[in-house]
Amino acid sequence: MKPENPFLAVLALAAGLLFLSPVLYSIWMSFQTADAYYTGNIEFTFRNYEMAIGQYNFARYLVNSVIVSGLVTLIGLAVATCAAFAFARYTFAGSNLLFGAVVATLMIPSHITLIPNYLTLAKAGLLDTYAGLVLPAVSNGFAAFFLRQYIRGIPRALDEAAYMDGASPLKVLWRVIIPLSKPAILSMGLYIFISEWNNYIWPLVAIGREDLYTLQIGLARLYRVNPGEDIIDWPLVMAASTITILPVLVGFILVERHLIRGMMMGAVK
Amino acid sequence: MLRRITPYLFVLPLLGFIAVFTYIPIVQSMNLSLREWDFLSPTKPYVGLDNYRLLLDSREFWNALRVTAIFAIISVPLRLLLALFIANQLLRETLVSRLMRGALFLPSVTSTVAIGVVFSWVFSTDYGMMNALLSSFGLPKVAWLQEPHVALWVLIFVNTWKQLGYDIIIYIAGLQAIAPELYDAAAVDGGRKVHVFRRITVPLVMPTTYFLLMISVIEAFQVFTIVDVMTKGGPAGATDMLVNMLYRVGFNLFDIGVGSALAVLLFAFLITLAVVKSRVIGRKVHYEA
Repeated sequence: MKPENPFLAVLALAAGLLFLSPVLYSIWMSFQTADAYYTGNIEFTFRNYEMAIGQYNFARYLVNSVIVSGLVTLIGLAVATCAAFAFARYTFAGSNLLFGAVVATLMIPSHITLIPNYLTLAKAGLLDTYAGLVLPAVSNGFAAFFLRQYIRGIPRALDEAAYMDGASPLKVLWRVIIPLSKPAILSMGLYIFISEWNNYIWPLVAIGREDLYTLQIGLARLYRVNPGEDIIDWPLVMAASTITILPVLVGFILVERHLIRGMMMGAVK
Repeated sequence: MLRRITPYLFVLPLLGFIAVFTYIPIVQSMNLSLREWDFLSPTKPYVGLDNYRLLLDSREFWNALRVTAIFAIISVPLRLLLALFIANQLLRETLVSRLMRGALFLPSVTSTVAIGVVFSWVFSTDYGMMNALLSSFGLPKVAWLQEPHVALWVLIFVNTWKQLGYDIIIYIAGLQAIAPELYDAAAVDGGRKVHVFRRITVPLVMPTTYFLLMISVIEAFQVFTIVDVMTKGGPAGATDMLVNMLYRVGFNLFDIGVGSALAVLLFAFLITLAVVKSRVIGRKVHYEA
């Protein structure tokens, strides 16, 4: 790394902090008592988190979000990887057409599916269930496209060698392709998990039962408990908001480079 | 025999999900847009184009279309210009530029609901950060989210703040793909910085610009969450976007016919846009990195 002009470096870091200041301040505020906040004092407390988890059930919403995002990620990756393998390694009747149909979903705006998917799940009796949240979110055209591009870069000789040893296609996928595609699969896993974690409109439509709320729905509802400007308990709302942001924030700091590299690869290819 | 059906077995699960939850719903939406239904009644009588007529005669629809169009027309170019400019400053692989990229990118992976809530506080009239800042300069308070002329600009600001980092990252990838020799040649010719930016950077990064333009226009026309959290389309419809109207008509008023007609219109518009753009890209952009 090159040496920096220290003045510019400090300026840049100050700009970065200013840019993130609303979020940073909201986290700070979540540890303040409401009284202290409104009178401009500083008084440290965990009360807001105790209230969010005890009185407002955010522990449950957190569990729901983890379960739903986790399932969408696992099933989504499995389904996308299998399809990507077939599109990368086989030429079969209709393969171009089918791959086109997968890629075209990237251009299809999701709002068009809102009402029909609600009806489909209502008919199947899956509204107000985890399955109702997970199933419509599983197919991910971008992940399939991205993984197919990546798998095409893996030398075919490796597959051939495994087939010579009598391996089945499933075994080649599991033993050869997946281990070699780990960086791409990890990137896509993060991307799917974060998108699903932050998903708002579909849980809003598909879930009415309070105990199945995800964090996003719980937070939006909590914020609107008292829509009147003066009655909002801002420190409590910020504690709930921090619970909603934090898992992604921590994950982001841990794997930021992978995530950003994944985004860049996706854009260039 | 087994060998021949193997690839189909691998693609079947994905295609099954896509068929059930993406392609069939498009057809269903078109069908429902020609019928009158409220989720409950046992019959769905065919009413022809009545739902579309109803929609095109309503002030609500034209208002939402106008507001959404303003939102897109202002926020998309604003984002792209800012992003290209900032990306161009963050190309070097230094610690500071890496930290800056991370800080700028963070909002784009953060929950939109949480961002909406946090910025509702930032722009709240009595206790918000913005008004505290104004007061400290001796300026009067502004009712950011209650003032019809102001609220839409606040949403544009928050949306730009959230999405900017993604655009920057994509631009950095595009800019890094430009051959350094081109810059060297320009330097030898004594090109000034502004000149190099306009004559080399901007044209050569055009494929990235088209890519971002396409996804951000589609995204802007589908904006929902930030509006639902911060303004609910108010005050007095000043921030009412198309998808917020779609949600309201479909899931609050249970007018499936009109809701579907709105979905189909927006869908047709966005698909047309995507097709036109891919034609334009195909014709105008030749340079490959």
